[in-house]
Amino acid sequence: MSSPAPALAKAQPERRIVVVRLADSAEAVAVLSALFALLLIAFPVSFPRLIVNGWQHGQLIPVMMAVTLLLDGCLYFRVAHLLSAKPGPVAAACLGSLPLLVVGGLSLLLQSAVHHTISLDLPNLQSRIGEEILAHTYLGLVAAIFLPFLVIRLLQQAKGKGL
Amino acid sequence: MAGWTFKWLFWIALYLVPVVLLPWAMAHSWNQQHGAAARFSPRDLLKRGELGLLSLVLASSVIWDLLQSQFTPHTRALGAILLAVGGVMAVNVWVETYCRQHSGTDWHPERAWRDSRNMALLVFSMAAVMQILLDRFTKVVAQ
Repeated sequence: MSSPAPALAKAQPERRIVVVRLADSAEAVAVLSALFALLLIAFPVSFPRLIVNGWQHGQLIPVMMAVTLLLDGCLYFRVAHLLSAKPGPVAAACLGSLPLLVVGGLSLLLQSAVHHTISLDLPNLQSRIGEEILAHTYLGLVAAIFLPFLVIRLLQQAKGKGL
Repeated sequence: MAGWTFKWLFWIALYLVPVVLLPWAMAHSWNQQHGAAARFSPRDLLKRGELGLLSLVLASSVIWDLLQSQFTPHTRALGAILLAVGGVMAVNVWVETYCRQHSGTDWHPERAWRDSRNMALLVFSMAAVMQILLDRFTKVVAQ
């Protein structure tokens, strides 16, 4: 087999790299928030209990990591497909690592918040901890979806969209 | 459930009436008074990213509520930072659009409208969830 002719290779138009806009991830976070709110209103007891049980059994954080990683990846490839542009290596690295780092970091913050609540020795402690876990779960999901795109956007602006 | 429905209606009204319907009604009234034939849709009125301003105001009010709550300092800080980032990035759409328009650089009204609409939706939905979480937490504390 012969290699492709250099002239033919040069003749193909070069696909530009995806330029991410925050509006893309904002739309996804808005849908996620609406879903979270609807679940809270429709299942005010069972949905928070599901999340708290997941945290107590150590399943919540891995699930959050998987969900945010998948969502960020799908969002990025959707934008790339719509713009007919190719994914950039730095953006891919950001999307591959930042959701995990954000969720991991926020899980440490949640543990700290739970220890803080326990140390105060307040009444209705179990319910308070449950609400803290619920709030951190929501904020963690939002942060892990929105912040990687914010970082990519800022990097793209700083480096002249060469990511 | 009825209380929640009322709260949701209040939130939607807070978003739609002063920002979308009121400017549209005022523009309609101005047209009537001046006999102008021009018709403005809410999109025409807000196409320069003005929704970003509302987003920042909305985010500020929820941050205030969050800081007054009895959540742990960790949760308050995290929620306040995320809401503030959302609000600032929403207002950035308006500022960037204004700068582009007045400096004569590349300006796309379609893009500005889409960006500001999505950022406003982000802040609005985050604010709504935070209000639900705050309401739940207040009930837990009161028990």
